Formats: sequence, C-alpha cells, structure tokens
Amino acid sequence: MPLKNTNIVSAAHTKFGKLDGVTQREMFAEAVDKATINAGIPKKDIQAAFIGSFIPEMLIHQGHSAPLLLDFAGLKGLPATRHEAACASGATALRAAIMAIESGMYDTVLVAGVEKMTSSTTPEVTEALAAAADDQFESSIGLTFPGVFAIAAVAHMNKYGTTEEDMALVSIKAHKNAATNPLAQFQKPIDMEKALRPPVIAWPLKIFDCSPISDGAAALVLTSNEKAKQYTDLPVKITGSGQASASMNLCDRTELTSFSASVDASRAAYKMAGVTADDMDFAVVHDCFTIAEIIASEDIGFFKPGEGAKAVRDGVTALDGDRPINPMGGLKAVGHPVGATGVKQAVVAYRELIGDAGPNQVPKHDNAVVHNFGGTGATCVVTVMRRADA
Amino acid sequence: MSEKPTVEEYLKNIQEGHFRAYRCVDCGLVIAPPSGSCYGCGSSKMEWTEISGKGELVSFTVIHIAPDEFVEEAPYFIAIVELEEGTRVSARLLGFDPLKPKEVKLGIPLKLDYEKGKSGKTYLAFKPV
Repeated sequence: MPLKNTNIVSAAHTKFGKLDGVTQREMFAEAVDKATINAGIPKKDIQAAFIGSFIPEMLIHQGHSAPLLLDFAGLKGLPATRHEAACASGATALRAAIMAIESGMYDTVLVAGVEKMTSSTTPEVTEALAAAADDQFESSIGLTFPGVFAIAAVAHMNKYGTTEEDMALVSIKAHKNAATNPLAQFQKPIDMEKALRPPVIAWPLKIFDCSPISDGAAALVLTSNEKAKQYTDLPVKITGSGQASASMNLCDRTELTSFSASVDASRAAYKMAGVTADDMDFAVVHDCFTIAEIIASEDIGFFKPGEGAKAVRDGVTALDGDRPINPMGGLKAVGHPVGATGVKQAVVAYRELIGDAGPNQVPKHDNAVVHNFGGTGATCVVTVMRRADA
Repeated sequence: MSEKPTVEEYLKNIQEGHFRAYRCVDCGLVIAPPSGSCYGCGSSKMEWTEISGKGELVSFTVIHIAPDEFVEEAPYFIAIVELEEGTRVSARLLGFDPLKPKEVKLGIPLKLDYEKGKSGKTYLAFKPV
C-alpha cells in the first residue's frame, strides 16, 4: 500500500563546501531556519526532530548531537534522536520521520542532516570514514573507501566493458550541472582531460571520480495531509520508502557489479508506492564515486545491468536527457557532508518536483526516486516521491 | 581443531602465518572472514577448518592514497579472492607491479601467502600460482 499521509512542505540546504568559521551547530541552525521560518512555518509547529549525522564523535569530538543542535536552532525541548547509518544517515532519519507521521504519532516533524568535516585533517577524515567499513577484516589490511568502489569498478569494467572515460563522463555531467547551482561546492565545468587527471586515489578511480570532503546541513519539514494545506498549495507526497542491508564486507558479497541493498531497497520502495522504475521522471542517486552512479542507475532499475555507462555516453542521464540523474550536480560536485547528504538529496528531489530548480529544472517532474547509500553499500534507503497535483 | 572458533583467534592465526577458516558444523559450509551464523543454514555451530590455499582473483584495486597506518606501503594491491572452498576473502595481492594494474587479469589462479607490512602487521595475501 502506498504511504498515505506524509508530505514534504518545505526543504532547504546550506551552501556545501569548505565553510571556514562555521561550526556544526551554526550550519544546522541555518538549514533549519531556511526550512521553517523562511518558508512560513513557525518553529513552534514542529513536534519532533530526526537528525542524520555520521561521525561527529571522531570529527569534532561531539557526541549526543541531537539535543545540542536543537537547542542552538531554537527547538529546545523537542523529542529528537540522531540517526547513524554512515552515508545513509540522512535517509534513515527521513525514514524514521515518515514512520512517525504515518503512525499518527506526530503531525509535523523536522528532518535534518549535518556534518562538519573540513575542520579535521584529511588523514583524520579518512580514518573517520573508514569506520563505516569492517575494521577487523577489511580496513585492517589497508582497504579504503575509494578502494571499495574501485574494486566494484574493476569488476564492472571486466564484466560489461565500462571504461575510465565512461566514469569520467559522470564527473563531467556532475560538474556541468553544479555549475548553475549556487549551493554547490564546485561550480566549474570540467573537460575529459581534467576528469582523467591524476592523482590516482584507488586505481582505476582518480581524484575527479571521488566526491569531496565537505561541510553542510540540510532540512525538511514533513506534515500530515491535514496540516500540509496550512503551509503550501503544492506539497510533495512521499509514497514509498524502502531500506535494505547487505554484508559490510565486500568479500562476503556474491555480486560486485551490483549492490544488493540498492536493488532490494528500490524494489521495496517501488512496490510500496505501487509504481515501477519506468514511472520515475528522474533520479537522485548516491554518486559518492562516479562508478557508484553508474551502478546505482542500474540497481534502481533505470537501466539494465551493464547499460548504465552507455546511458551516460548517450546523454540519457543529462539534465535534458530522457532520464536525468543528479540534476543539481550530485555528491560529486555539490559536495558530500556525510550526514547531510541523504536529506540534501530529498531537498533536490523536492525542488525539482515543485518546479523550483531554476536553470537545473528537469523537463518532466511528476515523480522522483531518491537513492541514499551507506558505507560500502551495507545500508541503502530509497524514497519514492510524487508532486501532490501530479 | 574442535575448539569453538573466535574472531580474535582468526586474526591471530593470520598474524602467525596459519590462516584457517570457519566451517559450519551442521552443513559444512566454509566461511571466512568469520560469521556468527552460517550463510547457508543459519546454524551458529562453527569449527575451524584448514583450507587448500588455492583461489581465484575476483577483483582488485591499487590503493594509492592510504590511511596513515599504511602510507609507507602505498601503492599496494587489495584483492577479492574466491577460495577453492567457495568463500571469498579480502587480501593483499603480491607478484604484480602496482603501477601496471592493467597487466592483472581477473580469474587468474592464486595461492595463499602472507605479507609482512611495514607497520609490523602480517596481512593475508595471495600470489599467482
């Protein structure tokens, strides 16, 4: 049965990037203000908060973030919990909020995500991110995050003939889309020569195959059908939500050219919404690495296994293509403040669906699928959305 | 080899150059790295098993940008290896030039080895037969 009662009525995120001098709590409060008072939603209407944040303990020596962040953002006293699922932290917070609305427990809730990363050194960030992989069996031999996706890339190249140039095209598309997105970390188009440039991070992935280290925050307000009318004439309905897990260890997976959690979560979300991948006008997927977008585009059913690279080559996933993917620039070029990403992806889908994406507007925008991926692919959350009047 | 296997012992065995896998007492499935329950039948009864040391290369990467602990070893290969017994492990790959990754072909036969890292740790490793 499709979800019946969950609406997004406002959505916003801060600038992503290296936000010097802006602390975690300040960017959180900025995103909350944009999604509440700036959108005409009084903070007093918010009844509970669901917060995605990956690893503030290691990055900024701060645990128990939820009450701290709420206090600073003028929401003191509300029930609030931080949700952690590595890079899928944001979407797991969203999913918990969906359940809270659908159950009837609350009418109006805040979903927010935040990560402050650039105040740590790159080795500190690398070590913190590695905590999302299996420390005893894989990180301990020197496997890194880019390494995990590089192994998937080698398998995909071997099985389907995907090339380094195909992956570079994903990066070129991301930078092109982000060039007109003022909230993006990078707003400069790149060409093939640059996209293939060293340094190699984990062969065959090079620097422009990887999403950056970023700061940023994002926020959404979800409401019931009855309350939604108070805030907007054009809410976005969340009609399906799927979540799945897979082995933490890459070596425990039988398939390396597809992520089973993505397949399982997207099928569950489509089934709940009563739709298929073909009904989706565009997708927002977790392109932490270029190969991740190619594989995700296959796993969510936009393209057959092995045909994701061809779709990029043919421009099918471009902003003006038949099946646009990451129309605002993706993690690759907009940035990847880990805990904020899953919420930011929903912000992008919301803005596209209501026709508020400016130069990044996709032509058809009735239905969208959002794919948020955690760690080595051990968690995936997929959300299906539809504009209320569509 | 009848004692109940533990993760600590599994890791220690590798450090001592004597890699062993888990085997499900109920259905015989060979499992490595360790799992608390069998992927085949769900049983949690495990025992140690010796393995042949033969395997096949499933996929790999070359790590150029490494965490602090491994910086002095980079670039180095990390491979997914399917053992003859059916289970897959992550391991270092030896016997190839990390600056010539295109010379490495998937599917090649490999045999068990170990690599002593500059950190002093011993890694599970494989090399071409």
